[in-house]
Amino acid sequence: MSFSNYLMLTACGIAGFVPASLVADDKEKEKAALAFFETKIRPALVKHCYECHSEDSKKLGGKLRLDTKEMTLKGGESGPALVAGKPEESLLIHALKWEDNLEMPPDEPLSPAVIADFEKWIATGAAGPRTGPPVPVAPPVETKTTHWSFQPVENPPVPAVKNAAWPKSDVDRFLLAEIEKNGLKPTGDAPAETLVLRLSFDLTGLAPSYDRVQSFLADHRERGDDAVAALVDELLASPHFGERWGRHWLDVARYGESNGNDGLGRNPTYPHAWRYRDYVIAACNEDRPFDVFVREQIAGDLMAAADDVQRDRQLVATGFLALGAKPAKAMNENFEMDVVDDQIAVVGSGILGLSVACARCHDHKHDPIPTRDYYALAGIFKSTETMWGMAAYEGLTAPSTDLHVLKTAPKWSPPAGFVETVVPIQSDTGKPKPIPKSKWPEGTPLAMGARDRPAPEDARLNLKGESTKLGDRVPRGFLSACVMPGEKVVEKKSDSGRLELAEWITRSDHPLTARVYVNRLWQHLFGEGLVATPDDFGIYGAKPTHPELLDFLATRFVKVHGWSTKALIRELVLTRAYRLDSAADPELTEADPDNRLLTRHLRRRLDAEAIRDRLLTATGELDLTPPDGSVIRHRDIMVQLAGNLHEPSKHRSVYLCYLRNSPPAELAPFDLPDALAVMGKREASASPAQSLFFLNSPFVVEQSRLLARKLITPGRSDEAIATDAIRRIFARDALDGEIARTVSLVRDADAQLADRQPDAKLRREWAWATACQALLATNEFRYVD
Amino acid sequence: MNPHLTRRSLLRSASCGFGYLAFSALCQERAIANSANLSAKLARFPARAKRVIFLCMSGGPAQLDTFDYKPQTGNKKHPGSVFHFSQHGESGLWISELMPETAKHADKLCLLNGMHADTGNHAQSFHQLHTGDRLRKRPSLGAWISYGLGTENQNLPGFVSLNTAKPQVYSSAFLPTVYSGTPLGINGEDMSKATIPNIAGDHLPDSLKRRQLDLVQAMNREHASLRAEDEALESVIASMELGFRMQTEAPGLLDTSTEPAEVLARYRVGHSVSEGTCKPSDFGRQCLLARRFIEAGVRFVEVNHGSWDQHQNHRRDLKANCEATDAPIAALLEDLDQRGLLEDTLVVWGGEFGRPGLTPEDGKDETGHNANGFTFWLAGGGVKGGHVHGKTDETGARAVEGKVHFRDLHATILHLMGLEPNELTYRYEGRAHRLTGPEGGQVVREILA
Repeated sequence: MSFSNYLMLTACGIAGFVPASLVADDKEKEKAALAFFETKIRPALVKHCYECHSEDSKKLGGKLRLDTKEMTLKGGESGPALVAGKPEESLLIHALKWEDNLEMPPDEPLSPAVIADFEKWIATGAAGPRTGPPVPVAPPVETKTTHWSFQPVENPPVPAVKNAAWPKSDVDRFLLAEIEKNGLKPTGDAPAETLVLRLSFDLTGLAPSYDRVQSFLADHRERGDDAVAALVDELLASPHFGERWGRHWLDVARYGESNGNDGLGRNPTYPHAWRYRDYVIAACNEDRPFDVFVREQIAGDLMAAADDVQRDRQLVATGFLALGAKPAKAMNENFEMDVVDDQIAVVGSGILGLSVACARCHDHKHDPIPTRDYYALAGIFKSTETMWGMAAYEGLTAPSTDLHVLKTAPKWSPPAGFVETVVPIQSDTGKPKPIPKSKWPEGTPLAMGARDRPAPEDARLNLKGESTKLGDRVPRGFLSACVMPGEKVVEKKSDSGRLELAEWITRSDHPLTARVYVNRLWQHLFGEGLVATPDDFGIYGAKPTHPELLDFLATRFVKVHGWSTKALIRELVLTRAYRLDSAADPELTEADPDNRLLTRHLRRRLDAEAIRDRLLTATGELDLTPPDGSVIRHRDIMVQLAGNLHEPSKHRSVYLCYLRNSPPAELAPFDLPDALAVMGKREASASPAQSLFFLNSPFVVEQSRLLARKLITPGRSDEAIATDAIRRIFARDALDGEIARTVSLVRDADAQLADRQPDAKLRREWAWATACQALLATNEFRYVD
Repeated sequence: MNPHLTRRSLLRSASCGFGYLAFSALCQERAIANSANLSAKLARFPARAKRVIFLCMSGGPAQLDTFDYKPQTGNKKHPGSVFHFSQHGESGLWISELMPETAKHADKLCLLNGMHADTGNHAQSFHQLHTGDRLRKRPSLGAWISYGLGTENQNLPGFVSLNTAKPQVYSSAFLPTVYSGTPLGINGEDMSKATIPNIAGDHLPDSLKRRQLDLVQAMNREHASLRAEDEALESVIASMELGFRMQTEAPGLLDTSTEPAEVLARYRVGHSVSEGTCKPSDFGRQCLLARRFIEAGVRFVEVNHGSWDQHQNHRRDLKANCEATDAPIAALLEDLDQRGLLEDTLVVWGGEFGRPGLTPEDGKDETGHNANGFTFWLAGGGVKGGHVHGKTDETGARAVEGKVHFRDLHATILHLMGLEPNELTYRYEGRAHRLTGPEGGQVVREILA
């Protein structure tokens, strides 16, 4: 039995005590080694280490004992303290040398001579008679926690409320019960004019037209709640629903169309990433049950498919695992594990609401996620081949990989006459090199994604997160802390285990998956999640404001709605709570300053996409058809060498090119995610950069001109134009004084522009463009009540 | 005092064009009222500095080969400095051969050799250096100072961050957004091209732009008056105004072509060093822009260079990092001094932690992170020059005397700016928050001039 096998078996709890003599076959050598231990090593251990690392320690440091051989080999929190024969791989030596933040003894380092003794001792086999009782090895996967989010989802009873007339649904009863408990009353309902805007933006990300608002108001006067339900159903059925809610998921999926700066300034495009974008939008429109949606993204390539269309769709879905940002491969021994880390992070934070990734280097400081769990997951992803593509033919950034070839997607061709001018650069000379020939015929439909490696295997612990310092092997498996029945290990060892992971995550009794997802839906509708940290349900995350309601919703989502996103959204937007006014009496605002009780609705700034879409809607320029692909679909190049890759577009914002580190200029000022990590909740800041966007950006200036041109028709009065402008921009009639104010600006502008533009007709257009721009720049345009 | 009403009325007054100074005075008054539970005592200090330039050296600069001289002691070689050090200035400060130009200003420097932090994790320590917190989104130091003192120039933001990293490090978090840092050049983009997007537009004459904005703001005020409880709307009105005013001054400030050739050369504008971990940052242009922003009245300017995280090739990459930053820093100190600005401008140099030393002649060239002992230096604005505070042990591994934590550094900076470090608070989510955190920070009184 080799020494390393011995270590492994001990850790697995199979082997008992094995005499040290196995490592030294020569009696004389063994004797000398023991003498060395007794004269040099044991005294040093007693003097410098045993105070904190022995049976007699008052408080055991780092769960490490150095007073018995077994305990030393088993190690503490950081892993085995030594690897016999290999001082350079032994944590003990690193610690004695005060390397890598392991600094022992803590007060001051031992003299280099003593450290040299320890190195010699370990190099010659770490002999020593220290014996003690055999150490029971802890069961590998048992992490107990009382933290709420790991406990099974309950199905709490709906509470009774005093004001039985107020609730429209059980959700309302949960909320009202808390409000009443605090001696408060919710604010009044929002006016119907507000509700139609709120619903349109929330469900489709688009502003309703003036006419649609009017028809809803008429319908609402006649039918009341039925009109609201009809509007909701219309919006849910709209193809623009998926563009809105798909984008929410793309934030979670850290979607980007390029790698992002690899740390060395290089940023290769992902020409095929857009297929994943389209997949997500379609899945939202088709209301694919969330459990299936998740399984497809984690393991679509391993799922059965009825036909090639389904096969292609499931392959594209696995792009989820491939489109993360990667650090450069060059000089990076951890590259492979960095890719794995990104995958664990997106599954962890995005789907489970847990920052599992901390456990890469150490047992999670706060959450019950041991390093062991991390490497159980890592084994699954290490056994997976991640297919990101050519990486612009720059192996120093990332080696080229295969891609999925789609069977049912149409062939395509680059724009007529296109010749690539951005060529790869030789890293040693800095000179251009020819673009390698693609292995696929031009126009082959390709997709990023994942597939299993031929020989899946378990990962080994990386000590301190370094892939060159390997510890025990960890069987592939799932998170040990989740309280649910069944083994949390991958059973079918011949697979990566991704499908089993996906099935485990989407089990109906999983404590996290449904909770995390319904909280995301809630947040997008109400402005704040019931858990305010949508990506972190761990100990550092926020506590739910309404734990029973969250569980009630998670249960309904899975059991009643069959994981249907649209059904749950419908239920939520038809509540009384969703209809509340964003205005409230000062007393109520004082009593519930952060709206934790949901006594009112939160006014919100539109997100980047909705602002741009609203600009194009107001000016009548928006092209509501989805474009085919992406402006970079035919370009496998370095973004940083290309200058500006964005092209003017009138399509919805979700279809713009989301290059990492080079976002579309029309979206960048409005808190666009950087796509480097899961972003469940965007900022909604107000900054001078946003002001400047409205005041000076060529896009806004151009849109204002186009709108002015449309507004001015022969014989139309200024007042009529202003009326129309306000209807188009705000989807409402002008308030008192607004028309006069607007016309007054137009007249002033006309006068001030006289010396710049002698042509009266053109000048009038310019003056109206000035006024339109002002209306577009108002707060009302980007904040929804 | 009712915190909510006060905050609203404050924002309203700010948005109606009150000066930032009046605004900030009120803010402080309110903040102090809110912080009664944190401290019963109220001390006021005269401001020794009016503005701050933070030379942020990300990655963990190796203090033992720059400013914390660790010669060998005893017979056995131990970790310490592996570059040559000599004494400089009248003060005789020990500075490494890698910083020859900065060394000429030794008598201006106040070395803090006993810095320590909580973690050797880059992201968390970097976050803590900027915001006082390792994990959660909190206002950045510059945002706190803008909040406390506003900006001296109403046409410019109070806080500018050059060649900056993630928004979290220049964010105002829960403070009103006008205090947020304005980023200029992100993720190592070419600083000569770095600009504030949409800062200029020639589609309208200036007077008409103002007239146009008047309509916007009139509508905004009406909109806000119907929604009287919403602070965010008031905040947008203020930032709309700031954005508009920035058009008048920012473009000129960003245009360094008017600087004499001698100045450009001294700052090494356009000269970037790129070697291993040392990334091109056009640090000279950043330093020059910092001087220009400070002169124009910006309260807090952060300039960035990295990465000092030279795990391998320590000697080569450290040399490159020093070469990239040494002369520009010297030029900045010289200019501030000559223009009389150094007196009330605090310059701060340092990174999220330091590094353990190498052992001479052992053939190794690899270093790691060390949060237990590292160096910052301060210059100008009310601190002693040619002074050393704090020390590490013989191997430089940990601070043993004059220990200064980030929260103490923060407290000292706020104190020098005339703010009461543990009293500058903001009420958010039901409690008062402060830069120095629940523990509070101790002003390092020994270094005050």
